[in-house]
Amino acid sequence: MIIEIWTKEKYARNEEAAFIARLAHAGLKVKAARLSRLYKVDADFSKEEFEKIASELLTDNITEHYSLSPGKAGLKDAYRAEVWLKDSVTDVVGESVKEAVADVAGKLPEAVRFGHAYYVPCDSEQKLKHAVTKTLVNEIVNKFKIEKC
Amino acid sequence: MTDLLSTFTSLSEKELVALDKACGWSLNAAELAEVQRQFRKMGRQPSRGELETLAQTWSEHCKHKTFSGPVSFKSGGKVKKYKNLFKETIVKATKTLNRKWCLSVFTDNAGIVEFGKSGKWGLAFKAETHNHPCAVEPYGGAETGVGGVVRDILGVGLGAKPVLNTDNFCFGYLDSKKKLPKNSHPPERIMRGVVEGVRDYGNRMGIPTASGGIYFDDGYLLNPLVYVGCAGLIPVDKIGKKVIPGDLIVSIGGRTGRDGIHGATFSSANIDEDTSASAVQIGHAVNEKKTLDVLMRARDLGLYSAVTDCGAGGFSSAIGELGSETGAHVRLENAQLKDTHIEPWEIWVSESQERMILSVPKAKLRKLEAILKAESCEYCVLGTFSGDGSLLVTYGGEKIVDLPMAFLHGGVPNFEKPAVRRNVKISGGNPAKPAKSYGGLLKDVLSHPNVCSRHSVINQYDHEVQGGTVIKPLQGKYGDGPGDAAVIWPQSATLDLNDFSGFAVTHGFNPAAGRIDPYQMALHSVDEAVRNLLCVGAEISRTAILDNFCAASPRDPEVMGDLVLAAEGCHDAAMAYGAPFISGKDSFYNQAKDADGKEYPVPISLLISATAPVEDIRGAITMNYKEAGNPVYLAGVSRRGMGGSVYNDMADSGNNLISPLDMKAAVQLYTAVLKTIKSGCVCAAHDVSQGGLAVTLSEMAFSGGFGADIDLAGAAREEGLSALELLFGESPARLVLEVVKGKEAEFLKLVKGLPVNEIGYVKEDRALEVKDGWSRLFAEDILTLKKSWKRDLI
Amino acid sequence: MKPKAVILRGTGTNCDIETYNSFKYVGAEPELVHINQLLSGEKKVLDYSIMAFPGGFSYGDDISAGKIYAVKMRKLSADFEAFIKDKRPVIGICNGFQILVKTGFLPENKANAQVSTLYTNDCGHFLAKWIKVKINKKSPCIFTKGLPEEIELPIAHGEGKFIVEDKTTMADLVARDLHAMTYSENPNGSMLDIAGITNAAGTCFGLMPHPERNFFAWQNPDRPRSFSAGAAAKGRGKPAAAREAVAAGYQFFKNAVDYVG
Repeated sequence: MIIEIWTKEKYARNEEAAFIARLAHAGLKVKAARLSRLYKVDADFSKEEFEKIASELLTDNITEHYSLSPGKAGLKDAYRAEVWLKDSVTDVVGESVKEAVADVAGKLPEAVRFGHAYYVPCDSEQKLKHAVTKTLVNEIVNKFKIEKC
Repeated sequence: MTDLLSTFTSLSEKELVALDKACGWSLNAAELAEVQRQFRKMGRQPSRGELETLAQTWSEHCKHKTFSGPVSFKSGGKVKKYKNLFKETIVKATKTLNRKWCLSVFTDNAGIVEFGKSGKWGLAFKAETHNHPCAVEPYGGAETGVGGVVRDILGVGLGAKPVLNTDNFCFGYLDSKKKLPKNSHPPERIMRGVVEGVRDYGNRMGIPTASGGIYFDDGYLLNPLVYVGCAGLIPVDKIGKKVIPGDLIVSIGGRTGRDGIHGATFSSANIDEDTSASAVQIGHAVNEKKTLDVLMRARDLGLYSAVTDCGAGGFSSAIGELGSETGAHVRLENAQLKDTHIEPWEIWVSESQERMILSVPKAKLRKLEAILKAESCEYCVLGTFSGDGSLLVTYGGEKIVDLPMAFLHGGVPNFEKPAVRRNVKISGGNPAKPAKSYGGLLKDVLSHPNVCSRHSVINQYDHEVQGGTVIKPLQGKYGDGPGDAAVIWPQSATLDLNDFSGFAVTHGFNPAAGRIDPYQMALHSVDEAVRNLLCVGAEISRTAILDNFCAASPRDPEVMGDLVLAAEGCHDAAMAYGAPFISGKDSFYNQAKDADGKEYPVPISLLISATAPVEDIRGAITMNYKEAGNPVYLAGVSRRGMGGSVYNDMADSGNNLISPLDMKAAVQLYTAVLKTIKSGCVCAAHDVSQGGLAVTLSEMAFSGGFGADIDLAGAAREEGLSALELLFGESPARLVLEVVKGKEAEFLKLVKGLPVNEIGYVKEDRALEVKDGWSRLFAEDILTLKKSWKRDLI
Repeated sequence: MKPKAVILRGTGTNCDIETYNSFKYVGAEPELVHINQLLSGEKKVLDYSIMAFPGGFSYGDDISAGKIYAVKMRKLSADFEAFIKDKRPVIGICNGFQILVKTGFLPENKANAQVSTLYTNDCGHFLAKWIKVKINKKSPCIFTKGLPEEIELPIAHGEGKFIVEDKTTMADLVARDLHAMTYSENPNGSMLDIAGITNAAGTCFGLMPHPERNFFAWQNPDRPRSFSAGAAAKGRGKPAAAREAVAAGYQFFKNAVDYVG
């Protein structure tokens, strides 16, 4: 199960502006972008249990909301870049969340991995890929995929 | 591969070299031949685990073969031979000086000197580099660099409590126009990653990152240098460690995984992802913080008899080192693993981060376990330090390594390396006339990347955690003036708020001078470090220093020549300043192929880290002007030479002379100046270094919010010195002092007969006016100067 | 008798020792206690008269700052609620404030639900610098009593932007002067420049700046001229003289001890 955490739009201006500036630095000029955080929780939990983990642990209800069906950014003609640490790289946040899930759900998931998703309206996948590898992703430690959303 | 191993003792030289390459051992032909000879003698074939162990133990990283090896140095017609360059220069100075306050030098994970007046404490200090990982993955490389040097401090003696982190970086210019090869990161990305890595790891560890520097030069475009250091406090009765035969081998902290295997191209066929990630890891600061918390509690309860960190070589080095006299029996099946796709020999040599090895008497294990559990820190009991002098490593019933310890730690073959003095043309003539006014030049120099403010980096570090950073990297009226040295009051280690003992830490670094004259570079670097310590009022007669050399390939005789000259400089400077080296490290092969396929080496880069006691931290001083009406003095003689200066980097003056340092005069001057600071005559001091005197005068003014009227007519100077050299030359052994009004007579008495001259006074209005007798050099508003200087680097 | 102060630790807490030193200096008997010791029942918070949540990166501040620590506290919430209800002093500094906010103990509300947050600084990253803060003299906060209207303190945080979603909650907070401390120059984008808030009793207080780092005059980056010349030389080796040189941060800890004393 992948739980996607969104910053509410009214609080997301700073992170979006910083991200847009980084893309610009890497040669891709865009006017808008959305960002989210992803928690991939490998566990044989019920939907209610995932909801509980998402709402009580992973989301700050003041500034964030969550979704159990990732990929909906509400941006037109956007591509979505999903970035994770490679499986062979220690995921520090994932490890820490794994323990915390046990505190909330009462049982330990098999694994938790932490990642990011970036939603960028632009005219080609290739351009986004170029900018992403120049500024967000290091293929030595990261894996990523880009898809039309 | 297995075939090659089963016929190892009969492989040809060519086959051996091919095997070495496939396994990523980096042993040379002679070393491989020696390994082969030993196994022939034993009459059997080696196992993969044994060869891995030898490769680790004999590596440049662990044995420092270049620096501790024989060298033949040619200079002009003369040849000088060294049997062990390191011992005959750096160690020799320490031995000759033989300071009683040096408690442990060159033997343990860090050097230790006495701390404070109580006689209860020692100060451990260590710096190292993490260059290659930072070039490949800047964030993870910097994180694991910090983690590694912190573990050195945790693993010195029976463990010191880290109270300060230092960081010094070298990057290519952020706006460099040079074309980069395909897989290298631009300097801006490297810098951002490195700063964020140091920030996230240091901040999470709760160790203040409060001293360091950033240096830009296109020589570092493909090979950034990342020096990380750590200082910690240790009770003097915890400096000794000795493994007792029968002790358990306990690993605490992180788990072991394939992420720590260097260049493991060999058995990766069955692993789905490529293994290049194994060269670089992401740090796990929280695991290391747990380890720190456990160690400090367990140390004070005496629950272990020895400790060391897992660094290069992982278990193989750490256990091999601790058990070098007793022997060890290791059962790898007991190791806590990150992943199951791992071969036994990989567990043995994996360099996974955040692990420490303890030698624990059986009777104390339960108490230790209770602490580990209370702190949620993972651990495993790996075996015992056996007492039979052999290294036996098993996995279940399988033998992974079975070798006598003596073989591991003896006989690394070493060969003489040729070294030659680089031929550099020196021109010491009059510098060319500048194209701009001195005021305009000053603004350019202030905004130069090697001079401008570092606040945008420093403000990201928690440089005050532990509450002991009493002289901060940013200081003065607006909390943004560039300090000369940090002063730490380690209340978090001593727990004594009535003990005002502290220590100062700073650095000296000057690769621009090294390009021209590596010997003078070493002298200047030690001088700059000592002078920085003096500026805060530290006890400079008790200075202890660290050397960290970074160089290109030692196969190049000119690179070796640079090294020899710099090492000789280190020796001479240590002797002149009475400042022993207590620890050091070197890193070679800092070169890479550029976009055109040409070798691109770093310049010889020597970082001098220095520390000295501060008797009473309340008496330490800062660099900004404090009060209008106070007289300003320049101490030291301004000498000719624009070599290595920031000005020359911007506009070549045609003069590249590095002014030779008169160390005897410097020591005499500094000794007197320290007396004036301690007697309360001086309320601000700032050294003259990068950018020259004009920069020093500007920084003192705008950091205090005062102007100054300066007339340099009285300043001591070498004959023929031009105005350009006076303002922007970087000749060493100079500092500017603000003297408390009314204390001038006392001040002058203390510096009688020395080149210390009044050059003006601090004033309320915002103008910094500087003249030299009849000639008016510049007059600028301090806010304008500050604006040029206070740039956001990141 | 010296009041017992519990300094609560956890994995990643890192300002615990200087907080311990500060309480000790003002006459409390501090003790470092790991949350694991509370969870196992080995220690009980109700055995203490003062409670402090020091700064740091509890559990790496993963997910968000203080979140995991707050989740771990849930099992013990009855004890914490009783402690606060009993008006025993509680101070949360930096990460400690983040924990108090994420547990819902601050801002005070009947359900102990999280009604505010401390979100990523506007600059987007960790920021450590000295700043000026204003003390709300009308606030019931017991920790800030006797302080001048404006003081200097260092901040060191990445998530310090105080946000209250509900307008009535914010209006109520301000009307009752529970915003005990505000930034003179807002460093992180906090609503109404809020740097620290208290409960109505004034006994539970959370703040982003670090009073334990401006405890003595010589911890200030702007060293006065007379400091090196006079005070230090005079006080050399004499603990009594050191007390003359306490700075604004001292008052926070002293107030807590005086309140229970």
